[in-house]
Amino acid sequence: MDVKHVNPFIESFMSVMPQLGFSSVKKGELSVKTQELNNSGVIIIVGIVGQIRGNVAYAISMSNAKKIASTMMMGMPVDELNDMAQSALSELTNMLTANAATCFAAINVTLDISTPTLLYGEDIVAKMSSNQVLCIQLFADDIPIDINIAFEK
Amino acid sequence: MDKVRIVIVDDSPFLISLLRNILTEHGFQVVGIAGTREEVIKVVEETRPTLVTMDMTMPGTDGFECTREVHKIDPDIKVIMISSMLDDEIVREAKENKISACIQKPVEPDELFSTIKRVLDTEELYRFLKEDSFVMFKEAMVNGFGKMVKAPLTFREDFINTKEFKSKGLTVIIGIIGKFSGRLLIDLSKETAVNIVSELSNKEAPDKEDVMIAIAELVNVVAGNACSYVNMKEKSLGLRISPPTVLFGESVHVSAPDYKTHAVIAETKFGELLLDVGFTRGEERWT
Repeated sequence: MDVKHVNPFIESFMSVMPQLGFSSVKKGELSVKTQELNNSGVIIIVGIVGQIRGNVAYAISMSNAKKIASTMMMGMPVDELNDMAQSALSELTNMLTANAATCFAAINVTLDISTPTLLYGEDIVAKMSSNQVLCIQLFADDIPIDINIAFEK
Repeated sequence: MDKVRIVIVDDSPFLISLLRNILTEHGFQVVGIAGTREEVIKVVEETRPTLVTMDMTMPGTDGFECTREVHKIDPDIKVIMISSMLDDEIVREAKENKISACIQKPVEPDELFSTIKRVLDTEELYRFLKEDSFVMFKEAMVNGFGKMVKAPLTFREDFINTKEFKSKGLTVIIGIIGKFSGRLLIDLSKETAVNIVSELSNKEAPDKEDVMIAIAELVNVVAGNACSYVNMKEKSLGLRISPPTVLFGESVHVSAPDYKTHAVIAETKFGELLLDVGFTRGEERWT
């Protein structure tokens, strides 16, 4: 899997998050994971087909997920991850992945995305489809979001 | 597709008469006309058409506001916007307002007819995928299970899933992408998964890695076969699947998507499996 495939996701994050009320966005560490991902909190899976086939898993801790949902809902307090908050987060990953797909199109890679599936809980282990998963950590108003990218080639 | 009931929304008597002629000649039935927001509400409420042609500019209102009024009455009514101006911004706003298609003035009869036909065909395709295709997913599960594990599988009654649920232990998710997109999910307990994989691999106690890989493959086969059955029936849906992602944990909750999904519990000698499939028109391609 190609490291340059991470850039569309970074580009998308940088352009989408400010539109949703986040005033600062920055890039964190890029890492390669070979084992299963282990996360507590919220994990949202979006499928990808086209010239590239794979999945993207967005991972956010529970408290940070609530903060993000709250900002997206114009600062409305989010004490628990209710339907509205879950819907906001799903929509966020839909927008981020769709925008990334547009950025891919700009480098002549066409792909389509599935609807997101959101799961939450403690110690969720996720096994993605490829042996290597690229993980880019991005920050919106200093809240970290892990974008795990598993492409088949 | 004759006798499709249509309401024309326009404030110009000339355009109304033009549209009425085109529509009637093509076998559609014009059941009402409206030229203001109030008339739109009244006429649509009374006639409940299948489709509305919507002028963009009208005195005191616009096509977007009137479309929202139409969808308040019945969200299933299709709206085709007819506008002299058509640019990216208008198309974006039209999509946001759930308008099915836009046509630029002056209206060409053939274009209007083919647009209406496409919108209605798309509607029928979506209905097929959402309501009728689930039986194919069940069939694929029976076949996949039968071939791979050589064990019969019986279903309980189907149900519509609208709420989040707690995973039994292991959830496999596959994204589905085509004319409409969605996802397939199979949820089962760790014990059921281990029982299935023991049978598959002839191992008493398969390790965790083996279990995840084998279950992922089983679900991949089910989803792949199901989408092939659906595509065979309706080629233009063009469904394709993303690779499976396997998630497990003691207290994993699977959230309900923004659309309803069809679900069913399958009973096998290894234990129960939940099959849950849903589609939305959110990502539908417009042309």
